[in-house]
Amino acid sequence: MARIVYAGDGCTGCKRCIVACAHAHDGTFSLEAGRIWVVKEEPLTDHPVVCVQCVKPRCQEACPVGAIRRVDDLVLVDEGACIGCGACAEACPFGAIALHPSKGVAIKCDLCGGDPACVKFCPAGVLKLKEPAAVVQQKGARG
Amino acid sequence: MGQVLRVDLTKRKVLVERLPKELALNYLGGTGFAARILFDELEPGMNALGPENRLIFGTGPLTGTLWPTAGRWAVYAKSPLTDIWGESHCGGFFGTELKFAGYDMVIVQGRADDPVYLWIDDDEVQLLPAKDLWGRNTAETTDMIREALGDREIEVACIGQAGERLVRFACIMHNYQDAAGRTGMGAVMGSKRLKAVAVRGSRAVSVADDERFMELAEEAHRRVLEQPQAREMTKYGTPLLVAYKSEIGELPTRNHQTGIFGGAQKLQADTIRAKYFAKVRSCFGCCIMCKKVNRIQEGPYAGLISGGPEYEGIYSLGTNCGIDDFGAILKANQLCNLYGLDAISAGCVVAWLMECYERGLLSRQDCDGLEPTWGNHEVMVTLIEKIAKREGIGDVLAEGSYRAAQRLGKGEEYVMHVKKLEISGQDGRTHRSVALTHAISVRGADHLRSLVTVDQLGYEDTAAKRYGRDKLPEVCDPYSERYKALVVKDAEDTFAIRDSLIVCWYSCGWPPIFWMPDFAAVASAATGVEKFGKLEELYRIAQRICNLRRAFNVREGLDRRHDMLPKRFTHEPMPEGPGKGQVANLEIMLNEYYKLRGWSENGVPTKQTLDELGLSDVAEELKRLGRL
Repeated sequence: MARIVYAGDGCTGCKRCIVACAHAHDGTFSLEAGRIWVVKEEPLTDHPVVCVQCVKPRCQEACPVGAIRRVDDLVLVDEGACIGCGACAEACPFGAIALHPSKGVAIKCDLCGGDPACVKFCPAGVLKLKEPAAVVQQKGARG
Repeated sequence: MGQVLRVDLTKRKVLVERLPKELALNYLGGTGFAARILFDELEPGMNALGPENRLIFGTGPLTGTLWPTAGRWAVYAKSPLTDIWGESHCGGFFGTELKFAGYDMVIVQGRADDPVYLWIDDDEVQLLPAKDLWGRNTAETTDMIREALGDREIEVACIGQAGERLVRFACIMHNYQDAAGRTGMGAVMGSKRLKAVAVRGSRAVSVADDERFMELAEEAHRRVLEQPQAREMTKYGTPLLVAYKSEIGELPTRNHQTGIFGGAQKLQADTIRAKYFAKVRSCFGCCIMCKKVNRIQEGPYAGLISGGPEYEGIYSLGTNCGIDDFGAILKANQLCNLYGLDAISAGCVVAWLMECYERGLLSRQDCDGLEPTWGNHEVMVTLIEKIAKREGIGDVLAEGSYRAAQRLGKGEEYVMHVKKLEISGQDGRTHRSVALTHAISVRGADHLRSLVTVDQLGYEDTAAKRYGRDKLPEVCDPYSERYKALVVKDAEDTFAIRDSLIVCWYSCGWPPIFWMPDFAAVASAATGVEKFGKLEELYRIAQRICNLRRAFNVREGLDRRHDMLPKRFTHEPMPEGPGKGQVANLEIMLNEYYKLRGWSENGVPTKQTLDELGLSDVAEELKRLGRL
């Protein structure tokens, strides 16, 4: 199954993906309720960070109430079961999981059901929905 | 939303006020709100650097949303450079963060006993000591605040050493390379001993009609990405203008002595892209992505990596000083960002000094032993440092070119200004509408409040659509005064709405994508206020804002006499190039403009005009002061 991929070049750091993500999930605009974010460093770094849908998700292992499961290659949070302890956020090696600013529960990329808002709204067109295997091939070919 | 943060630095008090509904309905946001507040709360003739001045950080109804150019925010106060209406817009992420913290506006008044900075963390607002920050540049200040508060996502608007030292054209910086540049807002901040405003917002912003809004936002997103000139902006940024203006003979050179610059090729966008380009950056949520980071790999400035410069910086610090060394321009531009200086005014005061030196009005001794000859980039860079530090001749230049000429009693005729604001990188001789724009702009010699591009960039279809095909070809003729008052007024009205929503100049004037009908649709969808969706009503609000800002200046004693141009533009024909022999005939356009605005021949809004716009109280105030 595909996941969101950034090939490492071309992000302008505009954060449009974050707000588009928050809007797709909550119907409101926010920089805190997005499930993707952007690391910015002076003078030359802008880098989106988003869940890579691990095959052996550390977040799932860390969750004390079993609220995180892997379904069809997608790592999902059951918001109803989540107790908002943040253990998953601590466990994630990528910093790709967070707690919702008002609901308090864990939030992470769910691919918007297959048509991710971040990909759709990325003005630079550098966020892609791709199969991990295709990414490996692309990177390998480049090297 | 609907909250205003009122900060009194003298009393060290912070208050949350409700945004009055009448203000929202009659003035839309950003610039509109500020116009009403500054007119109501400031006394005419007051000292712009006194504690009673208000410093307003504004956002608009589109801030924080997915509208593709809504990453803008603005600062307003009475200007210490021009002593009239001060306004400066900025990109980046500060306005968005302020909106997400729950505030439409922050109004700062008073003066702190010791340097402070304002920390806004949603509902928790504090004034914190800025002792360690005072004396630091804008990048250090930003980093130190993020470090001290332990959060790298904090957005900071701050002043550098120039603002602390009350350089009259000090700017407010944000995000290392974004400036609220013009009219000395950084000096107002410095006078209040407010080093920075730091903000973090965790809230969400919603719009009234989400479905309609998203339809419009998605369409707008597509329209920007499909516009070929917008794509060029992404690749090259505003330096695109260098080649274009060079071709039409309007690249202001050596303090506007001519529009032809021999070294233009070295400063063109394709040269910059090939030799120096390092990265594209962008303001919040923007589809234009015009910002560039550049890197110098050889020569005296090797190793330098910095955001910028924009076209205006290349003009002011480069061509206008006769300088064709891109490394020097990037260096000076970076110094302006670090010290917190308006790069336009900074370059222009140096250009003025260079002309005074060329003409023998000032000696080497007057210039602290420096030789400010045209093209001397080492001296230009040194002068920027001296201005920021107020050292020697820099202390005089820090007052702005108008005051500097007065103080030295020399070179007054070579000060390229309107209303004491140094002129931006256009020339009214070869671009007639900009002659009127510079003359009437509410903040002085400024292009951004009403710049018309159809007569310079040849947008005939856009002109026909906006003004009617019957106005062609004259409306697009840069050497004709015909219809220019009409199009400048229309641009000024449209931009009053643009600056209240608040969205970017890029995508309205250049490239021509959005205009009033687009703003009407999105303003009503975002706010749910139906009348914003009616063009006639939106124009009425625009006119209300324009008249109120004008009334602010009239109250300060301005009238037709101040709607002038430097003599160079009206009496010295363009000496060479495609526009050779052209001069600006201002009076014709001015008469027409006043008539269209419903102002007297003297440039003062009439009682009837003010009454019709619901500004009867303003008319009464002007009458009381004997200005009506």
